[in-house]
Amino acid sequence: MAAAPENGTRVGVERVAATKSGSGSKLTRFYTILAAVAVVGLAVVGYTVASSRMGGPVTEPIELEGVESDTALFELAEGVGRGDPEAPVVIHEFADYQCPGCGSFASRIEPLLVRDYVEPGKARLVFFDFPLVSIHDHAFLAARAARCAGAQERYWDYHAVLFGQQSRWSAAGDPADLFVEYAGRVGLDEDDFEACLESDRFARTVTANMQLAQRLGVNATPTIFVNGQRILNFRGYEDIADVIDEALAK
Amino acid sequence: MSGGVHADVPGEEPAEPPANRMAIAVLALVGIFVCAYLVLHSLGVVGTLVCQVGSCEVVQSSRYAWVGPVPVSAIGLAGYAALFVLGIAGTRPRFARSRAVAVLLLAGTLVGVAVAGYLTYIEAAVLEAWCQWCVISAIVMTLIFVAALPEVPRVRGEGRASPGTEGEGRV
Repeated sequence: MAAAPENGTRVGVERVAATKSGSGSKLTRFYTILAAVAVVGLAVVGYTVASSRMGGPVTEPIELEGVESDTALFELAEGVGRGDPEAPVVIHEFADYQCPGCGSFASRIEPLLVRDYVEPGKARLVFFDFPLVSIHDHAFLAARAARCAGAQERYWDYHAVLFGQQSRWSAAGDPADLFVEYAGRVGLDEDDFEACLESDRFARTVTANMQLAQRLGVNATPTIFVNGQRILNFRGYEDIADVIDEALAK
Repeated sequence: MSGGVHADVPGEEPAEPPANRMAIAVLALVGIFVCAYLVLHSLGVVGTLVCQVGSCEVVQSSRYAWVGPVPVSAIGLAGYAALFVLGIAGTRPRFARSRAVAVLLLAGTLVGVAVAGYLTYIEAAVLEAWCQWCVISAIVMTLIFVAALPEVPRVRGEGRASPGTEGEGRV
């Protein structure tokens, strides 16, 4: 009888040892699987990031996969706003950075609209890209460049420089270096800006804005809407101001 | 510390690493990589998302992809990281029978699956657009939730070898 507990203890110890060894191999297998998942995950993410950076700048519209419905397009399209979001009047501008008419609008009319309506909080200006890529080969990249400046919160400063320097970069074979130079001029981090410009960032947004313009029937630049009403054949600041004043009076 | 694990005492089972927690850790690691990819996109490190199915950019550029200044994917990344740590910790003998780990895992996965459900609803009903990475994340979170269900008996205090042994710091 005296041997029984000793025997029972040995059996218990053996069982525990076997169980411990089973737990150990289970854990080893578990850590092996974790390591495999980590390696695969790092490889996939690393490859995706590297290939994205090596892709080069996107200089023309891309195919918008999966944007079949109007809702999806309206979600993807995105204007850049300036002024009070609660302003009673909204001015939508569809423009092309390489279009001379848009350059003229930006230098002669836009500053007056900003001074008289946007800054006093009467109106909000929302700019949508509509690069006419069939006739302006740098327009798409310029629109992306402005967006890259927007990523550093300096969209409107860069917008003004782009229009102000339009004749210079329009004539360049490759305007990318000039765009980077302008980035430095408005105080942007040039490395970040260049990385953005050299990628495909904002290509979908700019493309979506173009498609939005086409769906709205915009066929010229600049095209101006005031509270959704398209202003046709405006000749100068006064024509637009009259429409805004009417909208404010309602 | 005369020998370590309380299972060294004859007649008492050692704390087996729970298989469901291993599954949670592996799935959470997958979720971490999915969310890390989306976070890198939000930070501008990755240009256009790889998106064979659906319209990822529509979803990722919508207002639902951000909570204030924080991308939703970053919140997901933090959630998966927490579940990963809990899953790993839960396989250690010290915490294998821990009720606290069980409660945290159940609560965490419950919140995770609810958020994943909400975001899936937004994609389907509001945006009418699908992001394949979000769908993958939702599936992963659902699987984690299922894997966390065996924690229910542990939360109720069932299946513990002996009371008062949890969290005693034996390794």
